[in-house]
Amino acid sequence: MTQTLLSIKGLSKRFDLRAGAFGQTAITVHALDDFTADIRAGETLSLVGESGCGKSTTGFCLLNLHRPSGGSVIYDGQDIAGLDEDAMRPFRRDLQIVFQDPYSTLNPRMTIGEALSEPILFHKLATKAELPARLAQLLADVGLTPAFARRYPHELSGGQRQRVAIARALACQPRFIVCDEAISALDVSVQAQILNLLLDLQDKYGLTYLFIAHDLAVVRHISDRVGVMYLGRLAELAPARDLFARPLHPYTRALLSAVPEPDPRAARSRQRLEGEVPSPLNPPQGCRFHTRCPLARDPCKTKVPAWREVAPDHRVACHAVTGKDQTNWETP
Amino acid sequence: MEQPTNLWRDAWKRLRRNKLALAGLAVVAFLVFVAAFGPWLAPHDYLSQNLDLRSVPPQAAHWFGTDDLGRDVLSRLIYGARTAFLVAVAVTLIAVGIGVILGAIAGFYGGTFDRFVMWFTDMTMSVPQLLLVVVINASLKQPISTWMETQYLASLNPIWRNTMLADFVLVFGSMALISWPPYARLVRAQVLSIRSRPYVTAARALGLTNRIILARYVLPNAMGPLVVAVSAGLGTAMVLESAFSFLGVGVTPPTPSWGNMISDGLRVWTNSPHLLVAPAAVLAVVTVAFNFLGDGLNDALNPKGQK
Repeated sequence: MTQTLLSIKGLSKRFDLRAGAFGQTAITVHALDDFTADIRAGETLSLVGESGCGKSTTGFCLLNLHRPSGGSVIYDGQDIAGLDEDAMRPFRRDLQIVFQDPYSTLNPRMTIGEALSEPILFHKLATKAELPARLAQLLADVGLTPAFARRYPHELSGGQRQRVAIARALACQPRFIVCDEAISALDVSVQAQILNLLLDLQDKYGLTYLFIAHDLAVVRHISDRVGVMYLGRLAELAPARDLFARPLHPYTRALLSAVPEPDPRAARSRQRLEGEVPSPLNPPQGCRFHTRCPLARDPCKTKVPAWREVAPDHRVACHAVTGKDQTNWETP
Repeated sequence: MEQPTNLWRDAWKRLRRNKLALAGLAVVAFLVFVAAFGPWLAPHDYLSQNLDLRSVPPQAAHWFGTDDLGRDVLSRLIYGARTAFLVAVAVTLIAVGIGVILGAIAGFYGGTFDRFVMWFTDMTMSVPQLLLVVVINASLKQPISTWMETQYLASLNPIWRNTMLADFVLVFGSMALISWPPYARLVRAQVLSIRSRPYVTAARALGLTNRIILARYVLPNAMGPLVVAVSAGLGTAMVLESAFSFLGVGVTPPTPSWGNMISDGLRVWTNSPHLLVAPAAVLAVVTVAFNFLGDGLNDALNPKGQK
């Protein structure tokens, strides 16, 4: 059994907005609710879901880039959720992030070399004398030549910038990287290159990834485990093969049936969802999916479904799922 | 050849294509040159009176004529440029300094300090400029010169006899006190928009301290609009200095300022129009030049706004 790197329990994030001329109206956005999962050393855990479902918020809260409203993240035996910047600093080296937009992820006023040197010198990972060699090594790791160190971000293509962003994360010699839609903004051909680069680096340095994406084909290809999120909650979490072969949660089923099928003659059972995703400003009571769920019954409207392991390593939050067959209703 | 290009280089390229901005730049550069080398350029002493040659029109020995005390107008204009430039640069530096520090900290950290700074900024902006300068001059000029006199008597150090010093400090101080709010607002707005960019979040994820992030990630990217504002601000400060000197609350005669030259010329303009026209023309040209340069810089640094 592999080791747990990050143990996440009940992680939640609410954004409190104030509206009205005197800030008298408080609006709460429930971006992330009760996220519980373990991230295992060396694995790629993917999070999928529609935009606004809380995937990125999860990544940001894990790294304390958003201060979580509740819950715990145990890393190295310590709860790092909600630590202040100074207390968090020693952990920052180990836990890194790569962002979606390659055009705003690099400081336009710094050369690539300066951008990569910053974390190395700040964390004293190399001396000034070792720096050029370390920069060359980092650039080589992401498939760039040492000449790139003198360039500015705007001289680089999107794919090259994303390589630099990965190198910057690697500069800290991390154990864990959140890839927040790291390839979504790139051309399809470049996506494949960056994806392969990420996989190579994972092998080389034993990295653990939290891969946030919405491209199910990519997720299926690279993930060890996949978590499906809906409106700030985890709906289902299972090994990739399991999830794609036997999705249990009705939302997962609908999501997977929406994946385009390359073979036009293949038989398809398309499961359509009615309506829109409800607003996270005012999420439905009970199961958040009940407004659109084909299986919804009365208890779904009032009672939040428990996060249960219904098959080995296969967790679901749904009243309708008891075993491997989702039609069995447990009596709540 | 791989030339590292950056924002300033690109901006310069665009600025070079803008003829008006180049003309403005040329005038400003000339002004800087004149202000810097004034004592070597001026054909006469700006204070020496030639009572045989009073209020003469422009001629070979005196290109812009002489004033009613027989002082060379060209020399006084050149020294006036020194005054104007010194005041403009000092006032703008102080104002930008206050504005950048307050605006950056307020925008970056937010919260109570931000609300306090913005409240203070609004309050300062609501004070009538002219009134403040008049009040400061009226209430402080006399006490300061008395104090300097006692200092001189105590130490006999001639620096305390230099009334120009007190004059300038008062002018700088009162003008800077009313000039910083626009800079503070501008910097705060810039910092607010930049602090949520992914490269700032990435810097936080790297574990860098707030001070490093503010100094190396946020502020350098907030500089573009500030450069434009400073260029326009220098021009405004020069006009403001002239306006105050014109009204008699700025630089005290006999220190030459374009403002007090215009004021003096106004009284005799029917007989000696050159005494009014020369300083007024210089002030107008310099003001227009700063505005052209500011507009040009604005276009050069914000290429998206162009067609």
